[in-house]
Amino acid sequence: MFNFASEEWVQALKEAINSSAGYAEAAKTWEGDFYFIVEAGGPIAQETVMYVDLWHGVCREACLCPDRSLKNPAFVITASLPVWRKVIDKKLDPIQGMMTRQMKLQGDMVKIMKAVKAAKELVECTTRVPTKFPA
Amino acid sequence: MNGFMGRLLLVDLTSGRLSEEALDSGLMHQFVGGAGFAARYLYDRIDVHTDPLGPENPLLFMTGPLVGTAAPLCGRYEVCARSPQTGLWGESNSGGRFGPFLRFSGYDGVLFTGKAARPTYLAIRDGHAELRDAAHLWGKDTYETQEAIQAELQGTKLSIACIGVAGEGLVKYAAVINDWGRAAGRTGMGAVMGSKNLKAIAVGGQGQVPLANPDAFSAAVQATIEAVKEDVKGQFLTAGGTASTVDTTMWMGDIPNKHYSMALWEPVAKLGGGTMAETILTGQKACYRCVIGCGRVTRIGGRHATESIDGPEYETVAAYGSLILSDDLEGTAYASHLCNRFGLDTISAGSTIAFAYQLYNRGILTSKDTGGLKLDWGDIEPALTLTKQIAHREGLGDLLAEGSRALGRRYGVEDQAIQVNGLELPMHDPRAFVGMGLVYATSPRGACHNQGDMFLVDLGAPVPELDIQLGNRLESSEEKALMTSRVMDWRTLYNSLVMCVFCNPSADLVLDLLNGATGWNLSRDELLPLGQRAFQMKRLLNGKLGLTAANDRLPKPVLQPLVDPAVETQPPDMSILLPAYYRIRDWDEFTGMPSAGRMTELGLQDLVAH
Repeated sequence: MFNFASEEWVQALKEAINSSAGYAEAAKTWEGDFYFIVEAGGPIAQETVMYVDLWHGVCREACLCPDRSLKNPAFVITASLPVWRKVIDKKLDPIQGMMTRQMKLQGDMVKIMKAVKAAKELVECTTRVPTKFPA
Repeated sequence: MNGFMGRLLLVDLTSGRLSEEALDSGLMHQFVGGAGFAARYLYDRIDVHTDPLGPENPLLFMTGPLVGTAAPLCGRYEVCARSPQTGLWGESNSGGRFGPFLRFSGYDGVLFTGKAARPTYLAIRDGHAELRDAAHLWGKDTYETQEAIQAELQGTKLSIACIGVAGEGLVKYAAVINDWGRAAGRTGMGAVMGSKNLKAIAVGGQGQVPLANPDAFSAAVQATIEAVKEDVKGQFLTAGGTASTVDTTMWMGDIPNKHYSMALWEPVAKLGGGTMAETILTGQKACYRCVIGCGRVTRIGGRHATESIDGPEYETVAAYGSLILSDDLEGTAYASHLCNRFGLDTISAGSTIAFAYQLYNRGILTSKDTGGLKLDWGDIEPALTLTKQIAHREGLGDLLAEGSRALGRRYGVEDQAIQVNGLELPMHDPRAFVGMGLVYATSPRGACHNQGDMFLVDLGAPVPELDIQLGNRLESSEEKALMTSRVMDWRTLYNSLVMCVFCNPSADLVLDLLNGATGWNLSRDELLPLGQRAFQMKRLLNGKLGLTAANDRLPKPVLQPLVDPAVETQPPDMSILLPAYYRIRDWDEFTGMPSAGRMTELGLQDLVAH
């Protein structure tokens, strides 16, 4: 089990992405890196920033960042811990999460709207990472 | 009367007489404006004997209290009459600038009665109304008409609503087109204009809508603008237009494919707002005071090269695209252009044509019927040809101009036509969002998505402060019926205000806007009852026009399951949804009409005896 939003979890996610044929196919034209940010609150003492660089169906780089200043990704998705958990548990569709303002997205909306299938496959990858959430 | 210009213009086209009528403040308070007011106003003026295309059918262009104010996304108007397409309540609304400009011209609405002896148009400039000869405009398309009138009436900034050849030829789903490519598309209001020899209405002026509480109104406006800008739905619409939803909801089976026979057809993504933005998009258009700007301006090359096209919108790319398995984005853009110029509703036109494709591929329609056209799935060219034929009532187009119900009836397959009460379904398959099945079956104007967008609620846009909650999109239940009724009441109020359904701030902000404009001092608890009153009013009017419980039915094909392992869909279970909805609405199971008790609760007791 990997603690959610730890360096080990992020590396396990990278491995899950790179071993997913479904993601490779769905995201074969995708070019864009992300910050996945867990907002401070509850057991999360301070904002946690995960960086994932996705390029043509593979994850080129993934790491935990000390803060937002390390990288300048094309997209930033921000949500609270309970919301991230619902997404990873497939209890909340990310699109629904954004529409209900539980998740905030910054970046090129045109690129994002064309990548729904890739996003679904990405969520599938997260479900394959054995995850322990903070209590 | 704050929030209103306070008067209607009455135009008797038979005599050419123009007069005015003061708005009844009590009636406005009860029905707000827009389509709600129109239903009450026209209730006393039409009945089952009114010929929708006869001089006796009154045609009302109406605005609401927020139109032409600084409130964002309220630049709309309603046009209402007995529908020639359905024989029932006809209601259609459109954005652009026509609604605000009508108010600036000095009126809240215009009622047309009678029939002009020769082609005519109405001009209202700064409170001065006149009927003008339109013989030279008859036969012109909607863009040519607007250009010609603009040139004739120089000096005042104008907005023009008009019809094209489809309206002149009484195509049952002829649209009213305004501000170049904005359309009041549904229920054939363009044909009603055509039946009256009314080619156009040009409006403009310097009037201002009086506000009850300008400071409070201004604060509500600013807060609403911020809320709309923060809303990701609005951000998607800005980036990709209404077709931005293609890429998302195709994975839910929302967009219908191959005339409602396939859950998923992946090439449809080529018609989405994202692809459009990266290929043919050249600009965006926004309606009056809109901060979203969902309107697309596109340019296409090739065989239909056109420098500037308004659209295509979501409904058009589906109706002329996925419905006939065509992924030709430029072709759908050209279809949009043709429909705009001829003045056709793209939903009904595209859906009727797609039904013809299906009948052709089943051998029910033959090349003899089509005049040699081969209606092969995937080929949009015959659809474009048929669109021209419909507009001019030529060949097979003369039958298609009557709509899919008439087409089905001619060939003995009326139950296969995808329509409710004669109005073709919009491009949201109810097997993706079962609440839409209930909306389509019970909407006052036939199958309509703007009388209750349950697809949006269950996609992730609930209105919790009105207890409109997010639900399972595939669950047919009493709860779904309750949520659907509330959404329909809410959107009915929108159609009275008149506010765009893409404007979704909190209900409290809508309340602040309404109170700030009118001074009515309403509470949040009064919002849904206001919507329900107008909704039940339309129901009563439909009862007067012959509607009963037997009309509340979905077409058979959308009650059949779709099979695709990649997409989860479920036909709406109307045996659960409809009885529950009837109980919530307090409708009689045979007449389909609200009880006297419910009418009294809603302040409609004066209509009980009817």
